[in-house]
Amino acid sequence: MSYTVKTEGMEELERVLYALGEKAENIASGALYEGAGIMADEMKKDAESIRTAPFQYAAEGKTRLPSPQEKAVVTGAGKLGIAKFRKEDGEVNTSVGYGRSGYAEMAGKIVPIPLIANSINSGTSFMQRQPFVRKAKNRGGKRAMEAIKETIEKKVEELIKENGG
Amino acid sequence: MGDTYSSLVAAMKALTQGESPAEVITLPMAEDEWNTRPNAESYGIISLDFEADSLDGDDAKLDVSMEGSVDLFSHSRSGAGWVEKIKKTLETYCGACWSLNSHMYERETGLFHWEWTFEVF
Repeated sequence: MSYTVKTEGMEELERVLYALGEKAENIASGALYEGAGIMADEMKKDAESIRTAPFQYAAEGKTRLPSPQEKAVVTGAGKLGIAKFRKEDGEVNTSVGYGRSGYAEMAGKIVPIPLIANSINSGTSFMQRQPFVRKAKNRGGKRAMEAIKETIEKKVEELIKENGG
Repeated sequence: MGDTYSSLVAAMKALTQGESPAEVITLPMAEDEWNTRPNAESYGIISLDFEADSLDGDDAKLDVSMEGSVDLFSHSRSGAGWVEKIKKTLETYCGACWSLNSHMYERETGLFHWEWTFEVF
């Protein structure tokens, strides 16, 4: 991505560039947070629309739908998350999803949340596939990128004003 | 849209029916992926899942890209040779449009599961 920054005067430009260098990481983090929020919202919405059927073992040669208990594992509060931001060499990275969600209780058993989420998303030989994460990624990706761009532009403009550019 | 996908499906079907009579072992495909599970050593599923992206203009969709997936279930850890064949077919029909989305082992059934996703125009 590239941005055009307009400012007048060499001294102002120097000040703005200096401030930009210092605050770039903070600006990037703020923007990334906005984008990650959009992705998380989309994913949550899609997780809530997973179709279910009361649990029963899949019949011979047939598949079954996820049970309401399995759905509860991926839709419950605090299950879906935004990972801690990793800052490295001027880059800020994060991930949205179930990667580090830990464990949940399901039908008296402790199950890993990422495993259940992956089973619903990719399907198994006995469970029907409902690619809610991939769908959310496709739908939210564009909007998240827009939000990131807008936030960066807004913050850079504020920075220019602060530094008299 | 559709040409790439149709040719990909045709290629996958050809692959699953065995390229030559000498090839005895074939890969059965689930006919209705939502509800069937062929009783076989290895089996595959190919489907179009949803619209991935579109180029809109003049009150119309000028170009639409669809995301689909190919699944392989196999009792063999190496996929009984199907992994390489599926990858080769994907590469022939849509270049670099695909990726391995997940690879899991099902403890309950003893099946290995590969899922490749692809995007076609």
